[in-house]
Amino acid sequence: MALDWKNLSFSRQILPIIAVIGLIAAAAFILAGLPDRELSEPEREPPRAPEALANEARVAGSGVVEPSSETIQIGSALSGLITDLLVQPGDRVGEGQVLFTVDDRAARAQLREANAAIAEARASIAEARTAQATAARQLTLYRNVDDPAAVSRSEVIRAEGEASAARERRKLAEARLQAAQARAGSAQTEIGRLTVRAPIAGEILAVNIRKGEYVSTMGGGSQPFIEMGQTQPLHVRIDIDEEQAPRVALGAPATVSPRGAADRQVEAVFVRAEPLVVPKRSLTNSAAERVDVRVLQVIYQLPETEGLFRVGQQVDAYIAARGSDQ
Amino acid sequence: MLWIAIRMLTGDAQKFYGLVFGIAFSTLLITQQLTIFVNLIERGASGTYNVSNADIWVMDPVSRTTDVAYAMPATALDKVRSVPGVEWAVPHLRSQASVRTKDGDLEGVAVIGVDDATLIGLPKRMLEGSPDVLSQPDSVIIDDVGMTRMFPDGSPIGERLELNDQRAVIRGIADAIPSFTSTVVLYTKYSQALNYVPGTRNRLSFVLVGAEEPAQAKALSERIERETGLKAQTRDEFAQDGIDFIIENTGIPLNFGITVALGFIVGVAIVGLTFSLFIRDNIKQFGALKAIGVTNAKIRRMVAVQAGLVGLTGYGLGVLGTVIFIWSFSADPTFKGFYIPWQIPLISALAVFVILALTGWLALRNVLKTEPASVFR
Repeated sequence: MALDWKNLSFSRQILPIIAVIGLIAAAAFILAGLPDRELSEPEREPPRAPEALANEARVAGSGVVEPSSETIQIGSALSGLITDLLVQPGDRVGEGQVLFTVDDRAARAQLREANAAIAEARASIAEARTAQATAARQLTLYRNVDDPAAVSRSEVIRAEGEASAARERRKLAEARLQAAQARAGSAQTEIGRLTVRAPIAGEILAVNIRKGEYVSTMGGGSQPFIEMGQTQPLHVRIDIDEEQAPRVALGAPATVSPRGAADRQVEAVFVRAEPLVVPKRSLTNSAAERVDVRVLQVIYQLPETEGLFRVGQQVDAYIAARGSDQ
Repeated sequence: MLWIAIRMLTGDAQKFYGLVFGIAFSTLLITQQLTIFVNLIERGASGTYNVSNADIWVMDPVSRTTDVAYAMPATALDKVRSVPGVEWAVPHLRSQASVRTKDGDLEGVAVIGVDDATLIGLPKRMLEGSPDVLSQPDSVIIDDVGMTRMFPDGSPIGERLELNDQRAVIRGIADAIPSFTSTVVLYTKYSQALNYVPGTRNRLSFVLVGAEEPAQAKALSERIERETGLKAQTRDEFAQDGIDFIIENTGIPLNFGITVALGFIVGVAIVGLTFSLFIRDNIKQFGALKAIGVTNAKIRRMVAVQAGLVGLTGYGLGVLGTVIFIWSFSADPTFKGFYIPWQIPLISALAVFVILALTGWLALRNVLKTEPASVFR
């Protein structure tokens, strides 16, 4: 029964051994070939609920960072060419600081014209005064003559007429002066309106105009000329599905993290909830967006962070739900 | 004595090889067909298994599989995030699109939009490039099936495609299990996918969820369903949904069931006939053995050893044949990801055992009834 090499039989010994080796090889192949279906941890940190809310009732929302003043789209009162642009994006400006000026040559020409008219009116007034004085003196002279035969009656009438004509001329010139002054004032105002100033102190966020471009007040151009806003502090506008809205604990702080840096969560302070529930703005870039989801917008104030949040950035937020605190 | 049984068995080489061939052939047929069957219907689950991070898939209540999904409004993501026990949740877009290749050909593709920030939703491994290439503008990652189908000669890296009038540049190749239909898959960022897929109102196909306690994913999925009104399936449930969808909607189970049954019948027929013939031929020898006082139990054992040797040899060769088959086709993209589930060799082993036990029992009945005197007749 022992293995006898001379008597080795293919069918009795070799074939079963081949079969057994084949089985072992097959088992190894099968075990090695089993698919890898292990769950793995994500390589990059996804936004997670903060520790405190991990197993609590909570409401999640996404939102966009905005200036605490909201974004101000600076407009121009008058149309015209831009002659000077004094700010660039990122500049901090004070209230009333000049942002840009629109071509004011026409308004200045009107001002000069009005000034000339003022000078002319003043000259007319002076001339009328002189004439009036002369006429008055002549009239006085005639009146002081005692002998009626010395001055003809017609002379006196003429002198009286001259005096009154000179008075009227002065009044007319004075009225012309006022008109010219009003024109000058109007031209001054026009010049003032051609200079666009910052309505509040804040940061320039975007400048969409360049020197030499034409700004139109007619609308049509969809881009605002300059966008600015108060970025100290920043606010964040969180959209919350209207179905979830009643659950939000208004007043509670929110845990906010920017997209792409989910591990850097900050706590934001409640500011207010917008009274108006608005359609959700989906960022699909589609002009024909149809919307049937409405969202409650809740505003939170972000703490000071070194450039972690920027205006317009998308964020993920977690807010405690009502009833979780009690 | 048992060695005599084996010598008896191999004495007639023709019958022995006939038996071994019969067992090997039915093992091969059963194992190989079951393997292909299982792998084919598991293609229905490949979309689920390709995503390696998500414990739970959340979808619209009417969605059925990764490919048959009804989109949800974008706020569904926030609803899911609001459920306690959800560690994280990210959006996932799956949609069909048409792509125009450089030559102007039109090809149907599946566009998968993964979360912008975390890239959760990509397959675990990359064949070429790294997932980070998606941060470049207009980037897509193609899967290896797409590579072989759309770019049979040459690397697709850097190739430009046109999707919904937008530019898409292939910057990576993912190592993924193909879907049932072997559709070309393009992975891109969620925000980019919104542009690539012609717009409908709602775009979010799935929300992928990581559970705080992965072991309690089932309980969490039920809680998500309760609190959001959406449908939540654990990974395994959703994979099963994909498989069930294929079973329900194709004739594959029936066809393969017939083949497996044929394998079994062929095995029974060949082995049964040969084995009973073999035993009948040797009935005289068994009679002689009985005459010298060998008990029925001993004879049973002898037949069992004979059956065992035939079974072991035939089964081993059959399984080896299946492995060689799968291995030799593993380079073919059609067979990408095919594997032999360990249960299948056990099933075929059971089938071999049943075949041999059945035929052995039938053949033995005569032997046991044989009178020792029959030798002398």
